[in-house]
Parts: sequence; structure tokens; C-alpha cells
Amino acid sequence: MSSSNRVTRRVFGAGVVAASLAGIAPAGAQGTPKRGGTLVATWGGGEPQACYVPAGGGSSPTFSSSKLFERLGNRTMEGKFRGELAESWKPAADFKSYTIKIRKGVKFHDGKDMTVDDVVYSISEIWKKYAAASALTDFAGITAPDADTVVMTFNTPIPEFFFASLLCGNVNYIVPKHVYAGSDPVTNPANNAPIGTGPWKFKEWVRGSHFEYVKNDAYWRKDLPYMDRLIIRYVRDPAGRAAAMEAGDIHIGVFNPVAPPDIKRLIGTGKFVATPKGYEESVWSTTLECNMRNPVFAKREVRQAMFHAIDRNFLAKTIYYGYARPGTSPIYSPNKEFYTTDTFSTAFDPKKAAALLDAAGYPKKADGKRFAVNLLAAGWFTENGKIGAYVKQALEDVGVAVNLSVPDRPTSIKRIYTDYDFDMAISNQANPSEPVPSTTQYFTTDGIKKGVPFRNANGYSNPEVDALVEKIKVETDPAKRKALVFQFEKIITVEAPLLPILELESITVASTKVQNHSNDPNYLAATWYDIWLAS
Amino acid sequence: MAGELASPAAPPRIARGSSRRVAALRLLRRRLIQAVPLMLGVVVINFVLIQLAPGSFLELMTAENQVSDPATIALLRTTYGLDDPVWLQLVKYIWALMRFDFGFSYRQNIPVIDAISVHLPATLLLMISSITLALAVGVAAGVVASMKVRTFWDTLVSVAAMFFFAAPSFWLGIMLIVLFSVKLGWLPVGGMATIGGTSAGAGGVLDILHHLILPTLALGLFYAAIYARVMRSSMLEVAQLDFVRTARAKGLSRNQVTISHVLRNALLPVITILGVQMGTVLAGSVVIESVFSWPGVGSLLFDSVSSRNYPVVLGIMVLGSLVVIAANIAVDLIYMWLDPRIEIR
Repeated sequence: MSSSNRVTRRVFGAGVVAASLAGIAPAGAQGTPKRGGTLVATWGGGEPQACYVPAGGGSSPTFSSSKLFERLGNRTMEGKFRGELAESWKPAADFKSYTIKIRKGVKFHDGKDMTVDDVVYSISEIWKKYAAASALTDFAGITAPDADTVVMTFNTPIPEFFFASLLCGNVNYIVPKHVYAGSDPVTNPANNAPIGTGPWKFKEWVRGSHFEYVKNDAYWRKDLPYMDRLIIRYVRDPAGRAAAMEAGDIHIGVFNPVAPPDIKRLIGTGKFVATPKGYEESVWSTTLECNMRNPVFAKREVRQAMFHAIDRNFLAKTIYYGYARPGTSPIYSPNKEFYTTDTFSTAFDPKKAAALLDAAGYPKKADGKRFAVNLLAAGWFTENGKIGAYVKQALEDVGVAVNLSVPDRPTSIKRIYTDYDFDMAISNQANPSEPVPSTTQYFTTDGIKKGVPFRNANGYSNPEVDALVEKIKVETDPAKRKALVFQFEKIITVEAPLLPILELESITVASTKVQNHSNDPNYLAATWYDIWLAS
Repeated sequence: MAGELASPAAPPRIARGSSRRVAALRLLRRRLIQAVPLMLGVVVINFVLIQLAPGSFLELMTAENQVSDPATIALLRTTYGLDDPVWLQLVKYIWALMRFDFGFSYRQNIPVIDAISVHLPATLLLMISSITLALAVGVAAGVVASMKVRTFWDTLVSVAAMFFFAAPSFWLGIMLIVLFSVKLGWLPVGGMATIGGTSAGAGGVLDILHHLILPTLALGLFYAAIYARVMRSSMLEVAQLDFVRTARAKGLSRNQVTISHVLRNALLPVITILGVQMGTVLAGSVVIESVFSWPGVGSLLFDSVSSRNYPVVLGIMVLGSLVVIAANIAVDLIYMWLDPRIEIR
């Protein structure tokens, strides 16, 4: 696996984050693993629409399906890539094809062997069409020259980091061809009772309540998992989750299961730990989009002024109780592979904001206002509305009148990504380490796809950025590629079509009995094969 | 008319036996006929309101599945009948409803009736238990307060009623969880049954009842507070009427007068309110189900509105309306049984 040695410089920022959180204890393993028992887990959201959604479908189905399916590759907490259902992968000399050796002796939950046919089907029919469509634009095809090998070919050179990240993609699973072939994968009934290769087997979905998974006795990692049963329980109300954890009904909650004040209270009981580890591959951020279709925001000085008018430290401390940091770049600080501080300075400075607005040709009028904007705060996170209320005040302080609206999730998606019905929008992103396409598509011209959420909604189109991203896509020298990404970050922060307001810290809260948790940089989407519960 | 009626609580002389049954059937038939345009109104209003809401399940579905190809989106629109004009979609929906076809939930990939039927029993159980609690506690507290008027017990009932009326149900629910589940450990935090526990036989029933206690208290105490207040004032009002004075003059004991004469007549306003409040109990269950992770239609409705899963939203509205209409018919029949004068009006 040639990729393994290329990423050793990556050091995740969890330790830094942890140091900033008083009272938050590190996760880890203690003692000899205890076998048997039932682990009850939850997450900071609701029940999924289906247990498995081929296109992802959001964090909820990713959480529920990732315990049943597996990917070809995975990342360690040290940032190394390692094989999961693949034993290794290697690029050709021209980086236009990759040879993947498939793990032998892996069985699906229905007892059938996992073969190269399943891998070929998954990549060509599920990844290409649903799970990784935007990342596989240059995918040319896949063949299986023998029973243990598949070869993926591309139209352009593919960097190793990109390829390895693709194999580790959130829902880039290997699914059983014998279950999905000949059907519509989106509506296949197996999505509600999946058959995968993972450490846990689907047993039951009690809608409105929980999933019950049982140990996969034929799991390819010998003698794992340790536990007999995994329950994923859904509790809609964060206060209800906190109470359920305190009462011992739930052992672990990922992705902010309880409100920030409850985190410290639970830790105070001595029965829980909280950790920001396990989210390094999925850093969530809050962003402020400027709609370039509005002539006001077509001027760069105005966009930069918005940056300077907002006190992001205040937002982090007040709205997120310190569980956030100001964003300084479209690539966030936990990403040690591609994050740089060499970007355009965006410190809070209302006077500078006012000066920039004056220079842009928008002096204060007699009523003290320069212009008015419609600010939309996407209602899928409660905090977005609170940030919207602050941004409204902050912008009004520099003479910008703001009409704030906080619509619910479907309306927000429609208004931001279909109708482009906003001047400024507070939204959120999940940012994996590989910036292409998940980060770059917010800024490239080909990211402008009406009706597709979490793409370029601001309408920013810059041939220089487009050309730069094309180079990043095909640059196979890691050092050169990193330099290109740094250049991209600098241009974007100067241009400021989308302002990275905050880097959010996601937190896992677990009983002190839970061992071997938060040990994967994308823990919500990890298989949890080695988790166990102490007596 | 009231003057022509002797003691309303006395054995009914106006209608007996088969004639009362005929009257009840006549009432039932009238109510069922009235239910048809009512249901039609519910369907039309909800259908139109949903059409007016921004965003659609198709947009959300294509968004979640990252579908941007216009041809695919057009195909999906045709598949789901969204190409038809709204009035035609409505006509098709009503026609399907007449065949008990509630449509298909594309989000959950199952028929709407299956999605709802999984959750409906939980909600009905919560509604019935909450109303039963509310009636039992509210009526009893109202009677005690009226019999002990201006005493400590009267004050206690008034203060308790004020408290439970004013306390938001979600807050009360959380407080009950903190006290009985977290601190005392007596009752489960949420859910409808112990996960992995036995679901069959007496053990299963007891397990469900164990889980039902807190949600029932959180939802039912609000209505108990209302019934207690109404019952108290109704009891005091009825106690002043001539027939009660007559009953006392006949030498009946206080308890006999209260139970046989006052209580039965004083119940009428409570029963009236009960019928009106069936809809609000159903709505209140949305909040309580969320707090207690109770797997009822409230949670399903919340999720369906959030995801613009209109077939399920409409299905819940229609079935919810049916439940409310059925409950109101039952209330009418109870009202008739309690007060035989009803049939001659």
C-alpha cells in the first residue's frame, strides 16, 4: 500500500482542541477487552430515512449503515491510510490507473463470499452514480483481471492522496452485487435491512425507536467484535439524550449528543468523558455565503468588509460555549495536510469594514444605512439562527440593513441551492482532508449546480481558481500539490465569496465504561469493530 | 324546557330501551354523514396548505441523493405525478383515499399506511392513557375541591391545577425524567419498551405500562388541571340548582346527592371539553413523543413535515381527523347517555 507512507506528517489537531476544553478527558482503551454485552449508542440527530442511503443521505444514515458495511480503505488516527476490504493499492507509473488487491476470506452477512465482482459492481454502479459521483468525474472504468485484483482506470492522473481518500469515503461501501444488481439501488428494500461485511449484522429496526445489530460471528477480523449487540437508539431531544445517558440507558453519543452546558455537567458526575477526537476527517464549519448575483456582493471589498465586521471569537465563545474556533481559510485547522495560516487577514475590525464599504462606493446615507441585504440562516442547526441574529446586529453597526430569516431545512435548501434566493446565507459544511471536490466545489464554476445542495451557491466564477483546481486534481507530486492548495486558499480568502466563520468542534460523550472509542478520525462513520464495555 | 324536567339525574323517563337505541343510531348516522364533508374539507385544506409550503419532497430527495441531472429530475417528477396540475393531483388523491390507498412514502420506501400503522398504536395508547388519567384525576380533584370549598384541599387543588396548567408539557416531561428516571431510577427515561426485553405476554404488557407512566403524566396532567377547574365550578353551580335542594330535602345523604345527582350533571361540561380537546391531545403528543422518544405518529409527523414527506403528512392528517371525529361521536353518545334530554332537543 504505497499510500501509507505518504501521509505520516499528518498530525491531527484533536490534542490541541482537547487542551482547550477544560475537564474534557481523552478517550482510549484500558485493560483487557471484556467480551459480550450490549452497547447502546446514539447521535446528535434524528432517525434516518433509511438504514442505508446509497448517495449518503446525510449523517444519520451514514451513522446507521457504517456499522454494517465496510470500505476498501480507512484512515488511522495518525493519519495513515490502511486497507479495510482492500489489502493494498498501488498506482501505475502514469497515475492513470490503480491496482487494488482485495482482501480474501470476507463474507457478507448472508454467508456469500465477497468477490471482485462485488467490488466492480459497487464502484461502477454505486460509487460512480451515487456515493462518489462528484469525485469520480474522471473515472474511466474498472476491470477484474483475477479473483483478487481490480484495476481502476481514469482519464487523467489521479494523486495518491485523492485516491486513498476516495477508498475511505463516507459511504463508499462494498455492497453485495447479488442483492443490488438489477434493481434500483435507491429503492432496494435491502436499504432498510442491509447486508454488508461489517462487524455488526442487522437484526431489527423498530421505527421511531432504535436499530438492533448483533455481532457478526463470521467477521474477517478474527475474534472481533468484542460485544454481542449494538443498539443505535434515537432520542430526538438533546435534554432527553442527556437524561438517558445519565440514567445509564445510553452508553455513548457521537456528534454532539447533548447541549454544551450538559457536557460539563455529565463530566462532573465522574461517570462520563467527552472528547473532540474522532472528527478530524469530518470537520464541520459554519460559513457565510455572499450571493454574487447581487451587484453589491459582486464587489470584493464588500465581501471582505463582511469578514471584518463579524467578531468570530464572540460567536465561538457565546453561541458555541467555546466549542468552536474562528475559521481563517476554506480548509480548516485540523487538516494538517493542507491547512495554511498564510492567508488573507480577516481580523475583527469594524472600522476597516466601514472603510472598505466606503471604498466600494457604499457610503452611509442620511438614514445611516448603506444598503440592505436579505440574510438567510439555514435552520438545520439551531445555532445558525443565533449567529444570524448576531450577524444582523454586527452588520447594522457598520451601516448595512439586514432582513433576517431562519427557514427550516427544506426551505433553506430550496432558497440557497435551488432558487438562490438570498443575499447572504449562513450555512454549514463537512470538510474531509482531501479538498477535491468536497471543498473546491464551493468555489469552482463547475460547482454551480442549481438544485444540488452544498455546492457553489454564491455564483462565484473565477477562471484562475478553476484552472488552479484542475491542476490540484491531477498533480501527483504531494509537495507540489500542497503548494497549489495553499495558493487556492490564499486566493479564496482574498476573494471571500464564502466566509469561513467558524470551525466547529464536534464532541463525543461516553460513559467511562466504554473503551476503544473515538479511535478513528471519522468516528461517526467508523465500524466500531473494537469497542467494548468495561464492567 | 328545564322547568318541565323533574330531576335530570333521576332514571330517565323520556326515552328508554329501544327508543334510546334508535335515537343513538339516528345520532350516529347523522354524525357519520356530517363526517364526510368534514373529511373532504380536511383533505382539501391540508393538501392546499402543503402545496403552499416552500420546498418539496422531490427537491429534498434529489438534494440528499445529489441528483442534478435535469432529465432524471423530470423523470422523477413524472414518476411521482408532480407533473399534473394541483387540482388533478388532489382529485387523484381523493380517489385513491376512497379506495383506502394513502399513497407511498418515497422517503421511507414503504406504503404510507404501513409507515403510519407502525406508529399509530403507540400514539393511540398514549392518548387514551392520558385522557383516562386526565378524566380520573381531574374529575376527582374537582369533586374534592367543590365538596371542601374554601378549605386547604380546595386551595391545594387550585394551586396544583394552576401549576400543571401553566407548566409547559415539554418542561414537565423533562422534570419528570430527571426526578423519576435519573435521580430515583424508578422509571425508564424513554422509549415504549425495554430494548431487547420480552415483548410477549404479561411481561411485555407490564413493560409497556412501565414506559407509559411518565409520558402519560406529562401529557395528561395538563388536561387534568383543566378538568379539575371546570369540574369544581360545574359542581358548585349544579349544587345550587333546585333539584339538588329537592334531593336534600328528601333526606338523601350528602354523598348520595353528590354522586347520584350533582356529579352526573356536572360532568356534562367536562365531557364537552373532552370532545373538543381530542385534537389538541393528538397535537400535544407530538411534543411529548419527542421528549420521551415515544415511537408514535407525532415523531413521524415531525419528521415528515421536516422532510416534506407530503404523502405521510396527509395520511396522518386524514387518520388523525378520523380519530378525532370518532372520539367526538363517542362523546356525543356519552353525552346523550348522561343527559337524556339531549335527544328531545
